[in-house]
Amino acid sequence: MSIEATVSKISVAHISEKARIWRMFRRNHLAVIALTFVILLCLTAVISPWIVPYDPAEQNVRNSLQPPNIEHWFGTDQWGRDIFSRVVMGARVSLSVGLVAVTILISLGVFVGSLAGYYRHLDGPLMRFVDMVMSIPGFFLLLTIVALFGPSLLNTMLIIGLTSWMGTARLVRGQFLSLREKEFVEAARSIGVPNRRIIIRHLLANTMAVIIVQATLFMARAILIESSLSYLGLGAQPPTPSWGVMLSQGRDYMRQGWWGTVFPGLAIFVTVMAFNFLGDGLRDALDPRLRGR
Amino acid sequence: MTLQAYIIRRILIMVPLLLGLSLFIFVLIRLAPGDPTLFYLPQDREMPPEVQERVMQRLGLDQPIHIQYIRWLTSAVQGDFGFAYGYGEPALSLIWGRLPATVELQLTALLIALTLALPIGIISATRQYSFIDNVVTSFTFFGLSMPNFWFALLMIFLFAVQLDWLPAVGNGADRPFLVRLQYLIMPALVLALNDMALYMRFMRSSMLEVIRQDFIITARAKGLKQATILFRHALKNAILPMITIVGLSLPRLLGGSIIVESIFAWPGVGRLGYDAVLRRDYPTIMAITMLSATFIMIVNLLVDVAYSFADPRIVYDDKE
Repeated sequence: MSIEATVSKISVAHISEKARIWRMFRRNHLAVIALTFVILLCLTAVISPWIVPYDPAEQNVRNSLQPPNIEHWFGTDQWGRDIFSRVVMGARVSLSVGLVAVTILISLGVFVGSLAGYYRHLDGPLMRFVDMVMSIPGFFLLLTIVALFGPSLLNTMLIIGLTSWMGTARLVRGQFLSLREKEFVEAARSIGVPNRRIIIRHLLANTMAVIIVQATLFMARAILIESSLSYLGLGAQPPTPSWGVMLSQGRDYMRQGWWGTVFPGLAIFVTVMAFNFLGDGLRDALDPRLRGR
Repeated sequence: MTLQAYIIRRILIMVPLLLGLSLFIFVLIRLAPGDPTLFYLPQDREMPPEVQERVMQRLGLDQPIHIQYIRWLTSAVQGDFGFAYGYGEPALSLIWGRLPATVELQLTALLIALTLALPIGIISATRQYSFIDNVVTSFTFFGLSMPNFWFALLMIFLFAVQLDWLPAVGNGADRPFLVRLQYLIMPALVLALNDMALYMRFMRSSMLEVIRQDFIITARAKGLKQATILFRHALKNAILPMITIVGLSLPRLLGGSIIVESIFAWPGVGRLGYDAVLRRDYPTIMAITMLSATFIMIVNLLVDVAYSFADPRIVYDDKE
C-alpha cells in the first residue's frame, strides 16, 4: 500500500470519529432542537440591543400593566416597560453570568481535579479540602458570600463559579485515577514525557468529553442560581433586566396581571431545559456507553 | 480495616474539617463589609461614635479577630454559640425553635417525592422507550429544569390568587391539623418536584443497569416470574445507588430551603439563615453553618455505612 493511501486512510478515520459523534448526536431530536435553541439564544443575546422593539429601561407610567397585545407582546410591567424587550435583553444577563461562572468553575475544577488525580501526595489534602467545602450547605454559602460582599451581577458570577467547582474536581480526579494506570500513559512516562505534557496531552484530552458535558449542564445550573439570587434581591439589581429581578417585580403586581410572572419564568425554564437536553445529548454522543441513561 | 475502625476514623476526620470550616467562615464573614451594630442603633438619627463603640465592645467585636475566634471556639465547643444579634435569645434556641417547621415541610416533601418517584422510575425502566417511559423521561427534564421559585409563584397565582383555595403564606401554626395541611400543600409540592424528577431519573437508570446484567438473564432463563425477578432480584440491587441520592437531600431536613421558605413565609431555619445573613447576625450564621455542616458529614457517613451493610462487597480501606 502506498504511503498516500495510508495517510488518506488515517485522515478518513479521523473524520469519521467526529462524524460518528455528530451522527449519534443527530439521532437525539430533542438535543438537536436544544442546540438550535441555544445557538439562537446566543445570537439573540449578542444582537439584542439592536432588535428589541422598545428600550427595556424606558418607563411610561401611563402605559403600565398592559396585558399582552399587538404592541407589547408580553404586556408591560408596573412602570410601563415593555416585558418582551426586557425578556430578550435578559438573555444577555443570563448567558453572560452562565459563561463566566462556568469558565471559573470548570477551570478551578479541572485544575484541582488534575492535580489530585495525577500527583498521589496531593490527592489526600486536596480531596479533604473539597470535602470540607462540600460540607457547607451550598446555597447558604452562596447567600452568605453574596450578601456579605454586596449584591451585584459581577459578584454573582464570581461567587457561583467559586462555590460550584467541587463536583467537577471530583469527577476529573476520578477520570485521572483510572487513566493514570493505562498503558499509553505508562508508555509516555517511560519515554520521558514531562508530567505537565502527560496531564494536558494525554489525560486531559481523554477527559474532555466529560468536561464538555459538565460545562453544558452547569450552564443550566448557573442560570438557575443567578435567577434565584436575583429573585431574592441578592443578584442583579434593578433596573438590570435579569429574569430573576423581573420575576420578583412581577410578583408585586401578580393580582393585577399574570404576564409579569409568566414570561420571565418561562424564559428561565426553557433556557435551563435547553441546556439540560443539550448536555444529555452530548453525553450520549460523546460517551456511547452511557446511552439511554 | 473493620467497619468500626472505619467509622471511628471518619468521625475523627470530622474534627479538623469542622475546625477548618469554622475558621474559614468566621474570617470570611468578618472580612466582609457590613456593620452588625446598624441593627442595634436607631437609623433615623446620628449616633455619637461612643455609643457605637460601646455596642461593638459589648458584642466583643472590638477585639482582634484571632481573639474573637478563640473566644467563639471555646464557647462553641461547650455548646454555646452566643446570643443572636437583636433577638435577645441564644442562636441555638432560635434555631431549635424554627426546626420543627423546617422538618415538617422537608419531610413531607421527601415522602411525596420518594413514594411517587420510586415506583414510577421502576415502571419506566422495565418498559424502556415505551410511551410511559417517554412521558416519565420528559417529566424528569421538566422537573429538573423548573426553577422552584417560579413554580412556587405559579402555584400561588393559581391556587391562592385566582382560585383562593389555599393560603399563600405562613404555616398555620397553632391551627387545627386540617388547616395546617392546607398551608403545607403548596410549599411541599414545590420542594418535591425537583427531588421527584431527580429520584425518578436515578431510579430508572439504576434499574436499567441492573436488569441488563447476567444474573437477571439467568433468572429469566430459569423461568421465574417477571414480578419475582423484578422485586426479589433486581430491585434489591437497583435501590442501592438511591441511598446516595436521597442522602444528598437529607441535609435540608435541618437547613431548610431558603427560597421556598422565603416565598411562602414559612418560619423555618432557611428563613432564619436568610435573615441572619442580611442582618450580619454573626452568631446565628456561625451556628447554622456549623450545625448544618456537622449534619451533612454525619449523613454522608451514615450513607457510606448503610451502603456497606446493603452491599457486603464494598470494603473501606485507606486507599479508597
